[in-house]
Amino acid sequence: MRESIIRIRDVKKIYQMGKEEIRAIDGISMNIYQGEICCLLGKSGSGKSTLLNLIAGLEKPTEGKIIFHKKYIERMDEDQLADFRRKYVGFVFQSYNLLPTLTALENVTLPLIFRGIPKQERTEKAMEMLRAVGLEDRANHKPYEMSGGQQQRVSIARAFVNEPPVVFADEPTGNLDTKTTYEMMDLITGLAKKYHQTLVIVTHDLELAEYADRIVVLQDGRIEKIERRKREEEVDENA
Amino acid sequence: MNKKDMIDMSLRSLWKRKVRTILTVLGVVIGTASIVVMVSIGIGMNQGFAEQLESWGSLQVIHVYPGGGMVYDEATGDMKQENKKTELNARAVEEMKEFAHVDAVSPVINEYLLLSVGKYVADASVVGLDPSAMEALGYKVEEGRLLTEGDSKSVVVGGAVEFYDPKLSWEMRYSTDPPQVDILNEKINLTYDWNVGTRHADKSIKPFRVDAVGRTSAEGADSWSVFMPIRELEKIQKERKEWEKEQYGGNSAARNQSKEYSEVLVKVDEMEQVQAVQQQIKDMGFRASSLTDELASMQETTKMLRLVLGAIGAISMLVAAISITNTMVMSIYERTKEIGIMKVIGASLRDIRGLFLMEAAFIGFAGGVIGIVLSYLLSFLVNMVAAGQGSTMQSAIPLWLALGAVVFATGVGVAAGYLPANRAMKLSALTAIKTE
Repeated sequence: MRESIIRIRDVKKIYQMGKEEIRAIDGISMNIYQGEICCLLGKSGSGKSTLLNLIAGLEKPTEGKIIFHKKYIERMDEDQLADFRRKYVGFVFQSYNLLPTLTALENVTLPLIFRGIPKQERTEKAMEMLRAVGLEDRANHKPYEMSGGQQQRVSIARAFVNEPPVVFADEPTGNLDTKTTYEMMDLITGLAKKYHQTLVIVTHDLELAEYADRIVVLQDGRIEKIERRKREEEVDENA
Repeated sequence: MNKKDMIDMSLRSLWKRKVRTILTVLGVVIGTASIVVMVSIGIGMNQGFAEQLESWGSLQVIHVYPGGGMVYDEATGDMKQENKKTELNARAVEEMKEFAHVDAVSPVINEYLLLSVGKYVADASVVGLDPSAMEALGYKVEEGRLLTEGDSKSVVVGGAVEFYDPKLSWEMRYSTDPPQVDILNEKINLTYDWNVGTRHADKSIKPFRVDAVGRTSAEGADSWSVFMPIRELEKIQKERKEWEKEQYGGNSAARNQSKEYSEVLVKVDEMEQVQAVQQQIKDMGFRASSLTDELASMQETTKMLRLVLGAIGAISMLVAAISITNTMVMSIYERTKEIGIMKVIGASLRDIRGLFLMEAAFIGFAGGVIGIVLSYLLSFLVNMVAAGQGSTMQSAIPLWLALGAVVFATGVGVAAGYLPANRAMKLSALTAIKTE
């Protein structure tokens, strides 16, 4: 049994829409293990994005516990959450979310700036990361000068530059064509494996789920089934 | 996030919105400049008064007279005899020397005498004072030096003292140019014989040999006087009294004269302390006055005007502050998504607030600095125009005002940016990031 990095216990998220209660997450308990690639798969409205937001501390659960290492995320205040995100979490979004006024390099440096890392060091690190995503020649371009795939690469570089224990990817390929999608998934999973990071991918695309070690299928705010895939390296480990 | 990066980032985002930043800064420039110019005119006015009064004598000198005269009773509105009577004598002088903030104290006596140099004479009011206190009392010489401790047979001659030939008739004296007398290098005789140099001169009066050590400028209140050590002048006074007694018969009043001075000068080290020391002296039972009395009343009359000027400046600054707040609020609306992204990728609440406060502070700071430059320019123009029209109005910007204005403008920026920055800080990361 591998060590779990995130434990989710009886989590509910209920939105009040007028008189109607919407149970976006309706009692979910699960673990996310150290170093795995976990896919939250589900249709639109299944609660997969909400679950991701809860785990990442972007939203608070109505009920239940989310424990990251030994920290209770749902009990953190805004300051602690910011601290938590800075230290432990990287994000990749569907819409890239790059700062339009900054160059690719500056976008990648941003998390390092917030960590207070000196200029020389962070520029080197960011350049190294851009090289890893194959964009070193685009370092000084602004987002609008780049294609969608390139922008997503920048955002991937930004998510990984901090070397966070966990990276969350919310529909990372939603805006990309098929060919780019596979490139991007190879890139993300490759980086996560390389640095032994935990990767949580949210998607509705069954094909993307193929990249995961474990697929958690969500429907109507509940876990429908958890599918475990044997990977070559796991086979090696067991051998 | 370290300070340098924060400064860097806020400057960059200000620069990205150049036009709006410049317009907002312009508001602060106008606000700062109007406050500074208005205040500077107030300061200039006061300085003008002070300069005007300085030409009448030092503002730091208190004139002390014996008490016991008729004084105005504020309670009844009548004049009444003041009964408290302390002698203004050597002991009182010593006592005043011990007061805090008192630099020098000197009794003053006056005697109207004639100076004769060669065949020329001049009449002048001779002032006897403590030679060691002369410099402290604010006297200045144009040539030579002031009297100092140890001087006895030395005088300082006022620049406006004019010599004439006593043998000439009155008409002739006035119609000819006064002769040039190089008094610093001539022998001077002091005498109370009004006929000196003429054939009526009284040979029994022994003139007093002195040397001029300095000469004051020909302008100012004391330029008609001659200064000498009080001890020497007292000797002359005594001789004259005796001579007068011989000439005109016994005068008991002169003999009965007490050792009370008719006037004592007190020099205070700072102008701000003059009124306090003056009050202390009054409490001893003497009458005291100084030019700061005049200054205070002049300043009182213009206080209202200065308040109005200050208020005009304050209103422009308020408008500038509102425009900073507006700019920051607008900027936060526009950058909601950006703020969300920064929060999600690890900006702390302090970082977010810091960034926005820094921007507001920079707007204030830039406005303050440019405002000061503009103020100096305007101040220069005001003075030029005022001088051209012969008006006494002037504007002066002391360093403290310039620095204070920059600090103030920056502070206004921070204050105006505080609410918007807090608002940015409190934005929910999730909502912000979903904003398009």
